[in-house]
Amino acid sequence: MTLSESENRGRTAPGENQSAIRNSQFAIRSWLRGRGALLAGAGIIMFCCLSAVFADLLAPYDYSSLSRREPLAPPTTIRFRDAQGRWHARPFIYARLFDPATQRYEEITDRAYPLELFSRGYSYEFLWRFQTDLHLFGTRAEAGVEAPRVYLLGADKFGRDRLSRLLMATRYSLLMGPIGALLASVLGVLIGGAAGYVGGWTDAVLMRAADVMLALPTLVLILAVRATFPPGLPPADAIKLLVIIFVILGWAEMARLARGLTRELRQREYVMAAVSLGCSPARVIVRHILPGAALSLAAQALLILPNFLLAETALSFLGVGLQEPEASWGSLLADVDGKIFKRGHALAEFSPALALMLFVLGARLLGDGLGNEGREREKFQWSEGIEESKEGRKKEA
Amino acid sequence: MGANTRLTSLLGYVKADSRHIVAGGVNSLPLAALIVMLKLILFRLLQGVMVLLIISFLIFALLTRAGGDAVSMHENTRGSNETIESIRRLHGLDRPLMERYLNWLAEAARGDLGHSLVLQAPVWSLIRRPLLRTGMSAMVALLIAWAFSLTLGISAARRPGSLIDRLCSVIILLASSTPRLVLALLALAFIYSTPLMSVVGAQTGADAGVLSFRVIPPAIILSVPLLAIFLAQTRVAIREALDEEFVRVARARGAPEWIILLRHALRPAAGPLITVLGLSLGGVMSGSVVVEVVLGWPGLGQLTVSAVQTRDIPLLLGATLTAAAAVMAGNLAADILQRLNNPLLRNG
Repeated sequence: MTLSESENRGRTAPGENQSAIRNSQFAIRSWLRGRGALLAGAGIIMFCCLSAVFADLLAPYDYSSLSRREPLAPPTTIRFRDAQGRWHARPFIYARLFDPATQRYEEITDRAYPLELFSRGYSYEFLWRFQTDLHLFGTRAEAGVEAPRVYLLGADKFGRDRLSRLLMATRYSLLMGPIGALLASVLGVLIGGAAGYVGGWTDAVLMRAADVMLALPTLVLILAVRATFPPGLPPADAIKLLVIIFVILGWAEMARLARGLTRELRQREYVMAAVSLGCSPARVIVRHILPGAALSLAAQALLILPNFLLAETALSFLGVGLQEPEASWGSLLADVDGKIFKRGHALAEFSPALALMLFVLGARLLGDGLGNEGREREKFQWSEGIEESKEGRKKEA
Repeated sequence: MGANTRLTSLLGYVKADSRHIVAGGVNSLPLAALIVMLKLILFRLLQGVMVLLIISFLIFALLTRAGGDAVSMHENTRGSNETIESIRRLHGLDRPLMERYLNWLAEAARGDLGHSLVLQAPVWSLIRRPLLRTGMSAMVALLIAWAFSLTLGISAARRPGSLIDRLCSVIILLASSTPRLVLALLALAFIYSTPLMSVVGAQTGADAGVLSFRVIPPAIILSVPLLAIFLAQTRVAIREALDEEFVRVARARGAPEWIILLRHALRPAAGPLITVLGLSLGGVMSGSVVVEVVLGWPGLGQLTVSAVQTRDIPLLLGATLTAAAAVMAGNLAADILQRLNNPLLRNG
């Protein structure tokens, strides 16, 4: 974003304190004005993406490693003060014993197990490249004694660490949703662009098809198509299949927007000039129409992203998406039942839902923000154009 | 613009406005309008049949490619190969794709959607009551969403920038970004931890009457995303309508505020509202799948999911096509409403 545009955003009159406008601090502040939602959305999305990329590092345990003696363990209490009332600088935990009769966990206060940063755990490839077994935090294993596992979000009914599973699920869900949305957007832009550019008969047929697609109950169709494939697909195949289904059923919304934008931009003088200079349709679309439409299309892609994510979540929730022990937000939510308030650590059990909500909210904020940005830029270009033509006329006079 | 032309244009509005009211009644449909409407219905029916044909054929074609049917799911370990083959032959599963599809189509055209392989009953008899239940929950959800969005939206539109207006923005953002699945799970946990359980009785007994209190939780959950869409639309549409000159004229004539809102502002605002209503029906049907499964409302969504899980293909086909047909019928109804509301569209 250039300085002149930020001036426009700050709505500073031309004569008003020019030196202050050149002040970079002021420029940053006026750029930030009205962009709170955009930045918050971008922050949330960044946070989710980073935790997906560094999931292995952040997760203390392997997402599929069971601990049969700790079913539905509540979150571990992290302590600084021990049972004798002494304070410790290093946080520690106590081991817990599960009593199957009362379904309760009792802490054994004989021995404290200190927590440590960058502890050793299962080995993985950091950033898919470097073999390592370092994890951000964990309990320190000491000679001869196996340290108990630390569960920040508790454990599920098989005693698998919920935090580790949530992080891995973020990886899967953030792979499937955005890839589906991206490919569906590309298909939609191709179809919509063709309809808008060619017009006439093609336009009528394609847009009629898009209308029908938009009206149909997509999730029911996705379920039906998914049912025609064997239920227990390996994860890689399941991901591919779901993405293909999403793309085939999800292009319509994007196509309508792309068609509208193409039709509108086609009327612009610079596009008509390019056409009359003999540019090929492909060149006109790629070089002249797409740049003008890009921001709006990106905003729309972000706004339809939650649909894909939620479709994947719903399928995994219903047990026809990813299969156990692989985790996605949907399959984690399948563990949530009506008794979460009764067990008393509802927030930890509900964490996959919170992650889902957070991401959807982030995508919405960012999408809305980008959409506003596109409209502002459009307005700015128009007003600039009008100013220029006025000045030109004055000069001529 | 001179004072004189201004006055005539205002008078024009008064005239147009009163004509709008007098001729706008549903009873006064001229013949031309009737023909336009019939054309619309006929066109939509044709389109609907084509869409259903395409969907059913695609699912059929995918099935033969993928293999694995209800028989292999159902009794895979017991029974010899010969028994399985004879069951297949009995249900006609050994024939080529096209023949099976055409057979199914011929039966479907006569209103017979086939026989469920797992539940051993005619598909239509299995679908009918769930369809009514889903329709019921969708209806209640729409009513709830309309009631809230109209009251909130109108009060927000009357005072832009007021507390209630800003509250509406927050509601829209939250309601539209909270997934139905999350809401349904929360509602389930809430019902379990309160005495509501005995009234609403989620997940007790497979059968529920179409008119049952149990419809309320799924309907409320279904209505939340609708509320966001409707509220956003109502707020904008009413605000725009209140800026129109005929509203100013009505105010000048001394019409009471509620007449202005209900008769002068709501009527033109209803157009976009009906459009979003039509567009949201597919979403309601999709959303009801998850909501029904979580909250134990035995509707079409739950039936579809169980058909998927047991790979009961005739039932799945029937349920999917019924869902699609119901949504398209709802869309047609919305379009007819749109034309009844707007005289310009009505007369073609």
